[in-house]
Amino acid sequence: MYTSIRALFNRTVVSIAIASAVIVTPLQAEETKTLVFSAIPDQDESALKARFGIVADYLSKTLEVPVKYVPVKSYAAAVTSFRNDQVQLAWFGGLSGVKARLLVPGAQAIAQGEEDPNFHSYIIAHHSTGLKVSEDFPKGIEGKTFTFGSKGSTSGRLMPEFNIRENMGKGPEEIFKTVGFSGNHSRTVTLVESGAYEVGAVNFKVWDKMVEEKKVDTSKVSAIWKTPAYPDYQWTIRGDVDAKWGEGFTEKVKQALLAMDDPKLLASFPRKSFIAATNEDFAPILNTAKELGLVD
Amino acid sequence: MTKPSFQHSRRWTLSWCFVAIAAVCLLFADIRITTYDPWTELGRLFSGLLNLSTVGLDDLGFTLLQTVAFALLGVTLGSVCGLSLALIFHWRWVRIMCALLRSVHEIFWALIFLQFFGLHPLTGLLALAIPYTATFAKIYAEILEEGDLSALNVLAHGTGNISSFFYARVPDLYQHFKTYTAYRMECGLRSSAILGFIGLPTLGFSLSTSFMEGLYGQVWVLLILFYVLIATMRYWLRPSLLPLYLIASVFIVNNDTELSMTNISRFFTHDIVPAPIRNGESLASFWQWLSDLLMTQALPGIMNTLVLSQIALVASAICTLLLFPLVSKQFFGRFPRSVGHFFLVIMRSTPEYLLAYILLLMWGPSMLPAIVALALHNGAIIGHLVGRYSDELVMRQDASFGLNRYNYEVLPRVYGQFLAFLFYRWEVIVRETAILGILGVATLGFYIDSAIQEIRIDRAVVLIIITALLNLAIDMVSRRVRFWLRVKTDLSIR
Amino acid sequence: MLSLVNAEVRYQGNVALHDINLTIQKGEKIALIGRSGSGKSTLLKLIYETLPKITALVPQDEGLVESLSVYHNVYMGRLRAHSWFYNLLNLIRPFKSRVEEVNAILEKVELQDKCFDVVKQLSGGQRQRTAVARSLYQGGELLLADEPVSAVDELQAGRLLQMLSTDFSTTLFALHDTQLALSHCTRVIGLHRGRIVLDEPSEHLSAADLTRLYCD
Repeated sequence: MYTSIRALFNRTVVSIAIASAVIVTPLQAEETKTLVFSAIPDQDESALKARFGIVADYLSKTLEVPVKYVPVKSYAAAVTSFRNDQVQLAWFGGLSGVKARLLVPGAQAIAQGEEDPNFHSYIIAHHSTGLKVSEDFPKGIEGKTFTFGSKGSTSGRLMPEFNIRENMGKGPEEIFKTVGFSGNHSRTVTLVESGAYEVGAVNFKVWDKMVEEKKVDTSKVSAIWKTPAYPDYQWTIRGDVDAKWGEGFTEKVKQALLAMDDPKLLASFPRKSFIAATNEDFAPILNTAKELGLVD
Repeated sequence: MTKPSFQHSRRWTLSWCFVAIAAVCLLFADIRITTYDPWTELGRLFSGLLNLSTVGLDDLGFTLLQTVAFALLGVTLGSVCGLSLALIFHWRWVRIMCALLRSVHEIFWALIFLQFFGLHPLTGLLALAIPYTATFAKIYAEILEEGDLSALNVLAHGTGNISSFFYARVPDLYQHFKTYTAYRMECGLRSSAILGFIGLPTLGFSLSTSFMEGLYGQVWVLLILFYVLIATMRYWLRPSLLPLYLIASVFIVNNDTELSMTNISRFFTHDIVPAPIRNGESLASFWQWLSDLLMTQALPGIMNTLVLSQIALVASAICTLLLFPLVSKQFFGRFPRSVGHFFLVIMRSTPEYLLAYILLLMWGPSMLPAIVALALHNGAIIGHLVGRYSDELVMRQDASFGLNRYNYEVLPRVYGQFLAFLFYRWEVIVRETAILGILGVATLGFYIDSAIQEIRIDRAVVLIIITALLNLAIDMVSRRVRFWLRVKTDLSIR
Repeated sequence: MLSLVNAEVRYQGNVALHDINLTIQKGEKIALIGRSGSGKSTLLKLIYETLPKITALVPQDEGLVESLSVYHNVYMGRLRAHSWFYNLLNLIRPFKSRVEEVNAILEKVELQDKCFDVVKQLSGGQRQRTAVARSLYQGGELLLADEPVSAVDELQAGRLLQMLSTDFSTTLFALHDTQLALSHCTRVIGLHRGRIVLDEPSEHLSAADLTRLYCD
């Protein structure tokens, strides 16, 4: 009896101590500001930490400030951390970048991959559907089960949906038997390969890489249609970094990114090289997102 | 004199009512099997068991510590706050507030806190502590209510409230509090792991990453560690070690994320304000916004949530009735029972989301994977509780064996408890349908997730409130039903 | 029929019964008396374990399933006479022919109007009569009854014991009412602290002899 009461008492005291400790400790400020960057988890999440780790090292050396990469779990989480200033620089997709810049006035797109102005998505189909590769939009996909990638993805959601609406005159829910969201591009491929979904939409770079590395069985699933080109990934930086790291910091970061030529670094994205970008380059994405009601 | 005629019990009638409701729901549910070639991927999945791999899981130990630390802190904070609220639980507003807090799934609490705390430990801590506080308050209050008052009544007049509480109530009820708190600690570990799915540094983080990429060797390592963690809980979680664990936990969960008042105030003054009001549009456009949201998302979401949860409720009931004998002393010896326990631990510790995903691969997209996943998961949890309850039954020396024992001796005796557990679980099942919404079944959770992904917190908040109200309604119905049946969960086993 | 030689029963190291030497012949009507805790129930359990197949049991706590009807509890006496599937159907909806059989038994114990009442709602005496009815329905050669009539009035107690004695060729009642023991049994066994201290035909005994067992 004595112990039970004592245990209860202990527990109360300890909890109060904990509550205060958790709140107080993080308030001790750090001396040198670390530039934190992140990337949308569009594929191979597990490898991101290792791959972006070397990018952080490169930036840290070039910019002469501490740079850290933090992994996030979703496109929205990447945007939210950017907005909350817990991340100042991010490798966004088209749609996530547009959203981030809408939410953070002054944020700028500074660089994009050489391939990004002309990005594509594939519509992929399981062979049992009998759908064949075609130049024109495959109208036979009506009534099939269909999966997008992540809800917030440009190449796995926004642009495929836009093209489907353009060509079929109806929304996906009306066209397909079921519409799912696999979560990311590699999962889309797996799900269509297994026939769990008959048709899916996937980022062309991810598909090509999976085919090249033989991670997908092309006797079961193939890409049947390629969307018209659209702008996609880009580096976006917050507008207030100059105030924190000194005048001209944005430009310094931009130059560091454009100067990246080590193939090992570039393979993280994977891009051939980086070229300059501006917010206006992504106007088509913004308009499409507005049209589909994904952005207010 | 007219001979009395046989009449079925209320429990019988009620059970069939629920089966009938589920049958009607089945008519509206989208259930089918469409898949062509599940075996390649399932083969990869199970061959992962033979190729266990920790490559890429370099911070495995840290992840496990984080999982335990968040669970310990969250549940402890919840139990302390819950105990205080239990003392004033007779106040109506406390009851309503707790029901509302309880009705929002930990994942959604975490998603809300992520918006302004980011990855600060408070996100995980509060996401666990808030719903757990509300649950603890309710159950502790019930324990207090049902406890023996005779010791309290004989205390000398004028004994202070606190003294009388600690002398006359706590000692008798301590065991009940302890049993229940330990049970919730196991739930806390599961919740803590699942929070990783949305970005907290717990087990779910690596688990969902490995799973999403088909690195099944890693998935199994993580799952097996998690099963072991839960199965051995009673060995490492000693009440006497708790203070030590808690202090260590504080250091484990701590990270260098800063709290920003700007973000917090922005959330409350900007993010959650409905877009038309935020943009200074007319009241009419606000109504337009709201009715759009209600008609195109909330209403279909509610329908799907109800259809899915009612079917899953009955399916869980069937699973429970099939599973509980596996772990009951009334039916099996020590060895078969341990096999049963092993199976149940796996079923209840594997996140429903993963189960549903595996079933999705096998059967293709429809409500079926979600239903079966919920049924297995909840069936294993209730089966565990019913099995434990049945252990305490004292049988006649000449009681029959086998199916006769099940039908005549055990089932009639445990059925009341079984229904009580099931109805307690009802609101949990409704909450869990939300998580499966993320798999594509358009429950309320699906729309909440979409709103969060689109960073439309205003919509997410409205939908979360609607979910909470739906849960509140179900909680009320469940209470009515339990009252009508006059069933109550046994104190010692809840 | 049964003989125990130097039998001993232990519960968690404590000896509950010592040196039990006992032979029971077919047709005997035995009363088992002694203070509570003297080992009566343990002895009955021991005997049941040696002869489970032919024995009907009325345990002290009645062993009823509270949430089933009187009918079903009585029917349970003969579960093993039917297939499990038949039993299951009968649980869901009682078979007419079985209800008639059970009703005949219930009339004997004056419970016919309670046939479909749930046991939970019965009084103590009614519950005991249900347990008695179950053993009557079960039948067999030997009846072991532990205080089967402690909660019914004297008149009815006599009638019930009479009925059980006629239905079963051999009976063994644990009783605390010495009058009943002498009037319904042919042999009386007295237990004290786990030992048999008395074993005589009842015609040799008076009520006073038995009362002595209850004093130290």
